[in-house]
Amino acid sequence: MDKVIICRCEEVDLEEIKETISKYQCSAREIKLRTRAGMGYCGGRTCRPALNAIVAEISGEKLRHEIPLKIQPPIRPVSLGKIGG
Amino acid sequence: MNKHRILEHPVLGKLANQKEMTFTFDGKKYIGYEGDTIASALLANGIRKLRVHEETGTPRGIYCNIGHCFECRVTVDGKPGVRACLTEINRNMVIESGKQHSTPFKPTDNEVDLPRTYSEFENIYKEEKEG
Repeated sequence: MDKVIICRCEEVDLEEIKETISKYQCSAREIKLRTRAGMGYCGGRTCRPALNAIVAEISGEKLRHEIPLKIQPPIRPVSLGKIGG
Repeated sequence: MNKHRILEHPVLGKLANQKEMTFTFDGKKYIGYEGDTIASALLANGIRKLRVHEETGTPRGIYCNIGHCFECRVTVDGKPGVRACLTEINRNMVIESGKQHSTPFKPTDNEVDLPRTYSEFENIYKEEKEG
């Protein structure tokens, strides 16, 4: 079960996320920065709910200021050429 | 080749009446039908691996199949990052799978052992020099 991949873009499995949470007692945002889960090609649109749920379940009550992952544009991956011309 | 297809569909009709199309995937020719997506045409040909993870090289294929996850991205006629699950095949379309990239700056297991200054380097390799 721990080998199940949570973030496919950056290939981060549940075990790595669990370990990072227990080692650093961190929020979903910090998990993202430490493991790169949710920072891949799809923009975290696939694993964001899973990441938030995992953090809430494992460390939920321990954390006072849990920061969930925010959503911001662009809503889908676009090439630099499309943005800048 | 039609092993993975529905031969007679109540809405879409008979497979035999569909228009065939030839396309290329990684240099090999395959046959799909008009209206097929790249992913469905390849799946019907028994190909599930559309790319490998850029860093680790582990296989990737259809995941969400609704254009959400970009797991099935391939290079189509030289254009990278095209979603195979949403893109319809065209006649003579040239499709390339995603390949593994080199990782020259990836940290090694013994990274901490590597010297960071010249004096550290000299200390570590002193024995070799003397010997």
